[in-house]
Amino acid sequence: MPTIEVHNLSKHFGKTKAVQNVSFNVEKGRITGLLGPNGAGKTTTIRMINYIIPQDSGNITINGLPVSAKTQKMIGYMPEERGLYKKMKVGEQLVYLSQLKGLSKEKAREQIKYWLNRFDAYDWHSKTVGELSKGMSQKIQFIATIVHNPDIYIFDEPFSGLDPINSELLKEIIIELRGKGKTVLFSTHRMEQVEQMCDDICLFNNGKVVLTGNLRQVKKDFGKNTVLIEFEGNAEFLDELKNVRINNRSTNFAEIRILDDMNPQDILIKAMQNAEIHKFQLVEPSLNEIFISTVGEDNIKNKKELLA
Amino acid sequence: MNWRQIFLVLKREYLTRVKSKGFIWATILVPVGFAAFIGIVVFISVWESDVSFEIGILDETSQVAESLVEMNAARYLNYSEMPVDSLRAMVQREQITGYIVITEENITENRSLELIYSGSGGIQLLTSLQADIREVIREERLRRAEVSPEIQAIYDTRIALDSRRLTREGLDVDDDTLFFSIVGMLMGIIIFVAIFSYGGYITRGVIEEKTNRIIEVIASSVKPIELLTGKMAGVGALAITQFSIWILAFLGLSSLAGPVAMSLMSQQPQLEGDLAEAQAELPFFLDMPAIETSLIIFFVIFFLLGYLLYSSLFAAIGSAADSDTDTQQLMLPITAPIMIAYFIMLHTWRSPDSVLSVVSSMIPFFSPILMITRIAITEVPIWQISLAIFLMLVTFAGTMWLSAKIYKVGILSYGNSASFKDLLKWVKQ
Repeated sequence: MPTIEVHNLSKHFGKTKAVQNVSFNVEKGRITGLLGPNGAGKTTTIRMINYIIPQDSGNITINGLPVSAKTQKMIGYMPEERGLYKKMKVGEQLVYLSQLKGLSKEKAREQIKYWLNRFDAYDWHSKTVGELSKGMSQKIQFIATIVHNPDIYIFDEPFSGLDPINSELLKEIIIELRGKGKTVLFSTHRMEQVEQMCDDICLFNNGKVVLTGNLRQVKKDFGKNTVLIEFEGNAEFLDELKNVRINNRSTNFAEIRILDDMNPQDILIKAMQNAEIHKFQLVEPSLNEIFISTVGEDNIKNKKELLA
Repeated sequence: MNWRQIFLVLKREYLTRVKSKGFIWATILVPVGFAAFIGIVVFISVWESDVSFEIGILDETSQVAESLVEMNAARYLNYSEMPVDSLRAMVQREQITGYIVITEENITENRSLELIYSGSGGIQLLTSLQADIREVIREERLRRAEVSPEIQAIYDTRIALDSRRLTREGLDVDDDTLFFSIVGMLMGIIIFVAIFSYGGYITRGVIEEKTNRIIEVIASSVKPIELLTGKMAGVGALAITQFSIWILAFLGLSSLAGPVAMSLMSQQPQLEGDLAEAQAELPFFLDMPAIETSLIIFFVIFFLLGYLLYSSLFAAIGSAADSDTDTQQLMLPITAPIMIAYFIMLHTWRSPDSVLSVVSSMIPFFSPILMITRIAITEVPIWQISLAIFLMLVTFAGTMWLSAKIYKVGILSYGNSASFKDLLKWVKQ
């Protein structure tokens, strides 16, 4: 049984169809990435999984139970728009948040002590959040998400706004959680993060799921039809190629996806006539490329942001 | 609804506010201010008799000056022998406050008198001078007309109107209408101010959770309706705490104030040993009639109902706004009825049984302010009170439903303050 099962989920706001007939599973002990540009319906889906807003139709089950106040307590959720009470002391605040998740006061204190020590933050216990630096309060935010030791973790755009140190820290935490058999779902519009961390992916576009499955399998299915080329010299030959899509182009590098059954060697020949080749590699397409070819270039909302 | 969650929210809302400096200061300063106010009034009533004004009387008829001196020897000085110029000089040298020239025409005709003075003394001096002069001139006219002493006595009559109220139980009690009119008005004003200030707490609290971006973290643990209920209950508990402290302080201070003021006054030489007189001169609110317990209970009921009725709306406004500054325009539908109720109250406290007062005191959004004012001042039929309470409860259910709908959507929408059109859409969702 999947840990989170989303089936035929729909939600509209006024005339906007935010989520349409979305189905996907999140398997236990794995990291699943929800991908897609901003406005694709990821946050709305996540809010419905967290029982923050109700769905119009469709089912969501957590460990077989329909979402409810009870399933909320099984989840540690870090929203995209996140923050803490500025005037409240760190300790009190964490106790309050974990009590809301159903912990007793004693149990909450014990957990908070463990996590504050773990993050070298025990000294902040009696400070108000307003007194902390941004990086420090980001750490407190992680603790608030994981302190009640749930089995499921949902992070909405977790890396946005994090400083580099905390980004690394969060990555470690996520990997560590998987090591303990926990289930993680996170959303992002940054594809490279997914490639580094995810086991499974689920691509969103315009409120619909366009592709879902095991990341490796998805990549394999697309075949080794992408050329990475490093060169020195005249780059004009790239423009003469037909039926290809060039991503990540710079003065001496290009990622070329072949769209028909052209032999990659033809590209190499053409390149050698024009420039000095330093590297030529045949690889699986990047997630960006997979996303673009699944959705079709013209159907992508906020495309620039996605490729940024 | 999960009561544990509501209680946790309530506890946080209550504790963080009750420990805040602003709350502690307000709670202390109001009774201190009240004590200072009483102190000043007592001080004024004790010392005001010390200030004397000397008015020179230049009486060309030499018939009324003596009566004035007889009336108040400390104030009126018979300077009929002096020339006007030296009286003017005396006023300028501040030896006397002023002077009045009385001529034959003032007695035989209705000609106004003129007070030439330095300008000190104010309205109080002017009115008492006018009363005294009127009296002596009337006496002089009566004397000249050679009316019989019986008729003179008729002119001296001063009939007062004492009022006693006949209650249903058949007892007549001392009528304290003036006192209770003021009590009623004060209670109305207190509820008016309280709805605004505790409502403001709620609006700001909701906006703070939105701008701090903690709201979604909370919403992943608590249902919006639980959060809303917990908030309203928490601030309500805060209001009860603050009011209990104030009422206790008020009762304590006023029970102290009477004896303190009296002992101060009895130290005044002219009043020594004459306690009854001292009592009579106490400012009225130190010598106040007992406020019935039932009135206090009604005050609490209407205060709480008014708070509930409006606070959910204040929360809805907070959820729809994106920052403190954006609340003004959204606030209007709430502030308008409170302001209207306040203006009607300014009429009601003088005329509590008029049709306007009776009808508007039963309109739920006005009741908290107007009904308590009426209950304090007049005998309000029990059916009117019950109907007002019933209508407020029904309306509360309605506003709560409406607010919960707006709140639920509002807390999760960032970026822009909602318009009324948006709110309507949220309610329909």
